[in-house]
Amino acid sequence: MGNLVQAELRKTTTTGLWWGLLIPTAVLALGWGLATGLLGQFFVDFASTSDVDDVSDFLGVTPDQWKVSLFGIARAINISTIFPMVFGAMAVSGEINRRTITTTFLTSPSRMHAMLAKMLVYVLWGAIYGLVIMLFIAVGVVFTSDSGQLPDAGGWAMLTLVCVLSSILMTMLGVGVGALIPNVAGTVVLLLLYFLVIENVLHLVLAYLEVPSVIGFLPNGSINGLTGSVAVDLFLSSAGVVPPEIEDVLRAIAGAGGALDWWWSGLVFLAWSGVVFAGGWAVTQSKDIT
Amino acid sequence: MHDGSGLIAVQNLTKQFGPVTAVQNLSFTVSPGSVTGFLGPNGAGKTTTLRMLLGLVKPTGGTATINGRPFHQLGQPGRVVGAVLEAQGFHPARSARNHLRVYAAAIGVPDAQADQVLGLVGLGSAADRKVGGFSLGMKQRLALATALLGDPQVLVLDEPANGLDPEGIAWLRTFLQSYARMGRTVLISSHLLAEVEQTVDQVVIISRGQTMFYGPLEQLRQSQQRRVLVQPSDLNALATALRAEGVQAIEQLPDGRLAVSGVDSKQVADSALRAGVSIYGIQEEQVDLERLFFQLTSGQYAGYAPAPAPFKQQGGWA
Repeated sequence: MGNLVQAELRKTTTTGLWWGLLIPTAVLALGWGLATGLLGQFFVDFASTSDVDDVSDFLGVTPDQWKVSLFGIARAINISTIFPMVFGAMAVSGEINRRTITTTFLTSPSRMHAMLAKMLVYVLWGAIYGLVIMLFIAVGVVFTSDSGQLPDAGGWAMLTLVCVLSSILMTMLGVGVGALIPNVAGTVVLLLLYFLVIENVLHLVLAYLEVPSVIGFLPNGSINGLTGSVAVDLFLSSAGVVPPEIEDVLRAIAGAGGALDWWWSGLVFLAWSGVVFAGGWAVTQSKDIT
Repeated sequence: MHDGSGLIAVQNLTKQFGPVTAVQNLSFTVSPGSVTGFLGPNGAGKTTTLRMLLGLVKPTGGTATINGRPFHQLGQPGRVVGAVLEAQGFHPARSARNHLRVYAAAIGVPDAQADQVLGLVGLGSAADRKVGGFSLGMKQRLALATALLGDPQVLVLDEPANGLDPEGIAWLRTFLQSYARMGRTVLISSHLLAEVEQTVDQVVIISRGQTMFYGPLEQLRQSQQRRVLVQPSDLNALATALRAEGVQAIEQLPDGRLAVSGVDSKQVADSALRAGVSIYGIQEEQVDLERLFFQLTSGQYAGYAPAPAPFKQQGGWA
């Protein structure tokens, strides 16, 4: 197994795809980080000069102490992890497309071994992407925010953890979908459409039907819940007592409307990744490579 | 685990792609120490058979084993069998050396092996070039290098001469024969008998997914009777003399010569001398393997000869 993992690792490092996707990922993360800080600053300035005593009363702290950057960070993670998902999506579909899968299977004890080795290597890449994403978001946010709006050290650690987890999970889902639909363009288009459009529409429909709790069980809803719930928890922990209605609004801002606790969300998304990977595995296992 | 015999065994192998029967009840064995040609016209089921042997395509029925085991039970298959297949891909942005290092890692052989096989196939100077810029012949050599990485006991090659220049084909021929002489098994497919005639010791000829002939090439040669074509001064006198010596298979050819089967030219000449018949020309007919091969495999996609155009009546204008 170690041999196959090394082989898969070499496959990823001997072409330019890893940095070709990592550069736009870093740029996007940095951009969202900068925007988060600027928007947060704008909001805090606005809130400080306006008649927002009511809100201040609710939150128990003055506006300049609101850690508004948390929401932007959660959103930035969600959008940036699209890239590691696309990277994962190319893992199997790319090999089928270029017909290198033949040699891969000829040099592997079984297809199962090859698929597992691939998954392990892409988990590692997911983690690397996650760390880079967090680093660039942090640089952007710190550059444009007042220290009062930033999380504390524990908060940063927690956000880094969920960012890396989220990136790994998204990569795994990508690998699974790429195996299920062995076509590079089809896989990427489907994933982007689903995560950027389809499920967002679905969220609106579910909210309209007054069953928002279903959202937390959908793929995008659960992966957003993983980061969003942590952001909301961190915000609330420094904001005092908050009525449930306001909490719901805050969750929606963090992109975690209808979501479960962060670790529950992570498990739900892991289950989605597992189901898709199992499907992709079954397809690959029985496939005639002609 | 596998028995290390180097034996390839295909038994009652059948593959159905939907309504199409690609391979039907195919059986043959390939022994180590010789090069076996796997022959048949395009579409006869050669590639499908080889892919079933290599675990890439699931048979509908029957078995295909290497060293007594199906492919997925070989443990580390890269060390047992190396394969060069049609449409085997390379990542265009990966260098030849990196390509080989990926699979060297998978098989579990040292990286130095990558450079060694590159040298072996004559690609040493192109090691750091991207495969995307390779010619078809270079890709074929790289595919062979990949197959050789694990120093396998069994080598399976599907139409390996495709894209190779005459020099490359000559080199491949020598290489495969010496590989087999080391006691290893070499199975090589082709749709042209002439292409592998000088390379192979045994042949398996298939057509329409079925085995048509299986055995040593020599046996195939002998299956066609050799004939002596002779032009005597007196046809009847020579024929009578030959019949008197017990030679029965005599026929007259349209060009006025006699075709005598089952004897050599010396015997015919001696008979003619004894009968006082002059010989103006005598020739032993060469065994035409290609024609034999064609007879064995013809008919799968037989087309019709174009019908002669009907004579057009001229007229209507003066």
